[in-house]
Amino acid sequence: MHQTLSKNSLAVLMALGLALAATGCSTSVKRMEASEVKDLSGAWNDTDSQQVSEEMIKDVLDRTWLGEFSRTQSRQPAVIVGEVSNLSHEHINVNTFVSDMERALINSDKVQFVASSTERQEIRGERKDQDLNASEASRKAMGQEKGADFMLKGTINTIIDASGNTQLRYYQVDLTLISLADNRKVWVGQKKIKKLVERSNLRF
Amino acid sequence: MNTGQLIVASRIGLLLGAFALASTLTGCATYSESFGSIERNLSAHQYDAALKDIEKQSGSKTDRVLYLLNKGMVLRMKRDFAGSNQMLEAAKAEMEKLYAASVSENTLSFIVNDATVSYAGDDYEQVLVHLYMAFNYLELGQPNDARVEALQVDIKLREIGEKISGDKFTEDALSRYLTGLVYEELGEWSDAMIAYRKAYEAYQKYSVNFGVPIPDMLKHDLLRLAQREGLTDEAAIYSKEFGIALAQEGSLAPEQEGELVFVLNNGLAPIKREKAAGLWVPPPTVAMNATRSQKQTMPVMVNIALPYYESRPNKVLSARVSVSGKQASTQMMENIDAIARASLDSHMPAITARSIARAVAKGVIQESVDRAGNRKNDPAVELIGSLFVRVAAIATERADTRSWLTLPANVQLARLSVPPGSYTVTVDLLGAGERVIASREYPGVVISKKHKTYLTQHWVAN
Repeated sequence: MHQTLSKNSLAVLMALGLALAATGCSTSVKRMEASEVKDLSGAWNDTDSQQVSEEMIKDVLDRTWLGEFSRTQSRQPAVIVGEVSNLSHEHINVNTFVSDMERALINSDKVQFVASSTERQEIRGERKDQDLNASEASRKAMGQEKGADFMLKGTINTIIDASGNTQLRYYQVDLTLISLADNRKVWVGQKKIKKLVERSNLRF
Repeated sequence: MNTGQLIVASRIGLLLGAFALASTLTGCATYSESFGSIERNLSAHQYDAALKDIEKQSGSKTDRVLYLLNKGMVLRMKRDFAGSNQMLEAAKAEMEKLYAASVSENTLSFIVNDATVSYAGDDYEQVLVHLYMAFNYLELGQPNDARVEALQVDIKLREIGEKISGDKFTEDALSRYLTGLVYEELGEWSDAMIAYRKAYEAYQKYSVNFGVPIPDMLKHDLLRLAQREGLTDEAAIYSKEFGIALAQEGSLAPEQEGELVFVLNNGLAPIKREKAAGLWVPPPTVAMNATRSQKQTMPVMVNIALPYYESRPNKVLSARVSVSGKQASTQMMENIDAIARASLDSHMPAITARSIARAVAKGVIQESVDRAGNRKNDPAVELIGSLFVRVAAIATERADTRSWLTLPANVQLARLSVPPGSYTVTVDLLGAGERVIASREYPGVVISKKHKTYLTQHWVAN
């Protein structure tokens, strides 16, 4: 009686094991958008960064402020990137996102870019050094910097709603282009990303 | 030998093999027993030697979370905050992976012991990872990243709160309070107010469950922020409750001073030890059918090993911080010793039940090996098989003594506002009767206007 019992329980265990192996036991992520993207953990990743920067740049270059500025000033606007602050619940590398945008904007040949404040400090130091050590002909004078016309600022926000194994992650990236001359907001861009993350209860 | 006997014989071999494998897998020492040399090195401030000891545990798959947590904690004692964060972040990822319970590990734990299951960290440990990462970011001067940790703590605590359990730990007061400090630093006043309120609620529970009263600094923060936000009714309630007078109109002007926040990680968290009891009982089938006649049955060995917490001795009760003639004493903010004990208490019924179930399973295995031996009619084989399976049953039954051992026993905080500048901070560690046990100086601590500078010391008693 004992042996048949243990044989039966062994069979049950094996069947259970097989069933579990068949259902698969890893974290599954379902993206709520049409574009097919492979996600691993559901956290902010390179795809999000690219998608957002691409869409934002397309939008900012299409708007009227650019044409208006070029018409009235008859030159390209100079833009500077201010702070894009990360207000989300993830450690997002904002720098890659900002440099993505910077590259796309410069390469569009429609706007000029001015070095950021930390970069400027370094360049000023170099200029000071040139003043002492460089030859007269190659020396760059101080006070000839090009001032920016607009500043690009932004935030990355998240809202998390979780229940049991399911988590809804909502990311919202807001970017604003502010005119330095009169504090006017000339463009506001917004991109939303929504992800449904489901965690599995079992692994093998 | 007929085919039936062959099957039985092969089954014995299988069982013996399984046990032999299990005993080599678990080794003979429990997790906490291997911590002695690390503790000695920590109390002697030999952090590199401690790291070397911790590195020996890097191979264990089931204890990977603990390896990462301990390494992260020792790195921050060494003041390598960036390195510490790398480790703690990896620990978080590992915990997330272990959210799903493993079928194979749990099956193995049913016949071997609880320590065969990968350790994902207790609830309070999973919250404190975020707290220490936040402290690291604050000491690195990155309040924005500390804010990210604060948000993650919120998500984690919501997840814990959702579980219906007898746990006393559903809110982490210090994490909430630190969240408030971070928000205030970043100028997000209403978020700071909410965090302070949650901290206040949590401390009300702490004072009942863990003997930690509501810190005075939280009372002042609540009152100050309520007034700043124009919540006059709430401010009046706090003023009455705490016996603190409302600040005069105009005295709430932006201050020109900076602030030093000193964090004392005092001592080490309690350590789990094992208490084991073994006894000889009749085999399970005999115990269940007392009337059934049995030919000679050997008693089976039932061994039950359960964990319990042992606090680690520490003479330091608090600390006094001095900066340019100003002094402040630390206040108890989090009693990890009490939280850990309460957590084990709430898990004890489940641990005991699992241990008893395992004892029965091991009894069944012992009995079936005896029967197989009986059928073979070879007393030598019978005896060796039966003895072996009993030794294996005792050797494999070990309590799960794993916990994050490099955590402090308690966390204390002192805040001092001082004018901007560079200072030498003196910290006196005080024992009973305010007797100075040890002193340490931190030169070149920079305080800037309207900002908080964080300084941590982890004291490990020797």
